[in-house]
Amino acid sequence: MNAKVLIIFLLFAAPTFAQTDEQWILGQSTLTYHVSHPLHTSEAVSHAAKGKGVCHQGQCDFLIAVPVKSFDSGDSNRDLHMLQVVRGAQFPLVTVRTRLPEDAASSATIHADLEIEFAGQTANYRQVPLELKKDGEDFHVAGTIPATLSDFKIDPPSLLAIPVKNEIPVRVEMTWHEDKSKP
Amino acid sequence: MRAIQQEMKTTANLLRVAALAFCGLLPVGFPAFAQGNGAGVAEISATEVSGAAEAAPDASALPARAASETTAEFSSLASEAASDQTQGNTPADNSQAPSLQDLGLSPAQTQGDPQLQARLDKRSHMLKIHQRLGLITMVPLIATVATSFGAGGRSTSTSDRWAHLALGSATGDLYFTTAYFAIFAPRIPGTPTRGQIRVHKALAWVHGPGMILTPILGAIAFDQRSKGEKVHGIASAHGAVAVVTAGAFGAALISVSFKF
Repeated sequence: MNAKVLIIFLLFAAPTFAQTDEQWILGQSTLTYHVSHPLHTSEAVSHAAKGKGVCHQGQCDFLIAVPVKSFDSGDSNRDLHMLQVVRGAQFPLVTVRTRLPEDAASSATIHADLEIEFAGQTANYRQVPLELKKDGEDFHVAGTIPATLSDFKIDPPSLLAIPVKNEIPVRVEMTWHEDKSKP
Repeated sequence: MRAIQQEMKTTANLLRVAALAFCGLLPVGFPAFAQGNGAGVAEISATEVSGAAEAAPDASALPARAASETTAEFSSLASEAASDQTQGNTPADNSQAPSLQDLGLSPAQTQGDPQLQARLDKRSHMLKIHQRLGLITMVPLIATVATSFGAGGRSTSTSDRWAHLALGSATGDLYFTTAYFAIFAPRIPGTPTRGQIRVHKALAWVHGPGMILTPILGAIAFDQRSKGEKVHGIASAHGAVAVVTAGAFGAALISVSFKF
């Protein structure tokens, strides 16, 4: 009788254990911020982003972190000034959090709500369009985050007494692959 | 009699099995309702969960152990749903969401360094002053070069030479004050010099010695002219050295103003 009870219980309970979580790891990434000034424009690139996504019950939570000092504009003086202006020594990371439905992977374009922590401030960007492209088992994600200096309470740097533009769009290109190493 | 007792036992066992199976199904259903897409759905799920939690202790037909486990399960689900309601169910609130530790970042990469920030702040402050003074220095520098035509040459006046000397002195004072803020701005260890700033720093080795040599040669030339002599000897290089110095200074300014 006890064996019968146990078998019946396991049969009904088995489905609860059949739901396995998927995990995603960020592989290659290129993040580029763009700064405009009347005299010249400048871009800085980082390839040092790290990210992870955990899918659970139809929803996937993603976290991406980039060290502020990893951005390279090609000019060390400009990069050091940038580090000072964005309080990069005090807040060394830019973090991006978002939640997407698991079935978003089937769309070519998704609109994500992003929560970004940068320079000690948090800003939310709604419905940021991101292009998805499946390449074998990898997913390529590309988009532009419409960030501004004022969103993060950053004083705009100036050159020859002329400040840079408030808009600092960040171009994001990422490659994600499923983490098959998890148990 | 025995047959009736046996039958009652069998019925009771079947009821127990059905109750246990029902308990096994419950964990499957409730999490799907707890993570709602809107506040309305979350509110409904919280009401359902809290109602079930209140009803659970009344299920006296259940074995005591199963009842306590069921109550615990309902309590955890109720608190999770309530948490979602009050905090908006953002990714940061979800216990399943990855954390910074999961990304493999070292403490050096995640922790702030207030001392480094203070050093950067001081560096930027001094270099801003350097930039402003450098621009201001351009004004008397241009004026000095402009008055050199009246100070030198075959026919000059005393007032022109004095004006040139005064402007040159002002230029020199501002120049070395500008240089002070650049030389003594804090360095940041581990940051090699790259980009156009290298040109700006290299040109300092031209206009720096030039700004020392030019007034020396100028003083000799002024003295010769004051005595009524024609400028001769090493003093005759004053003009050429001054032009090269002014040119290097202007190039240094352009090297950090425009992108090449």
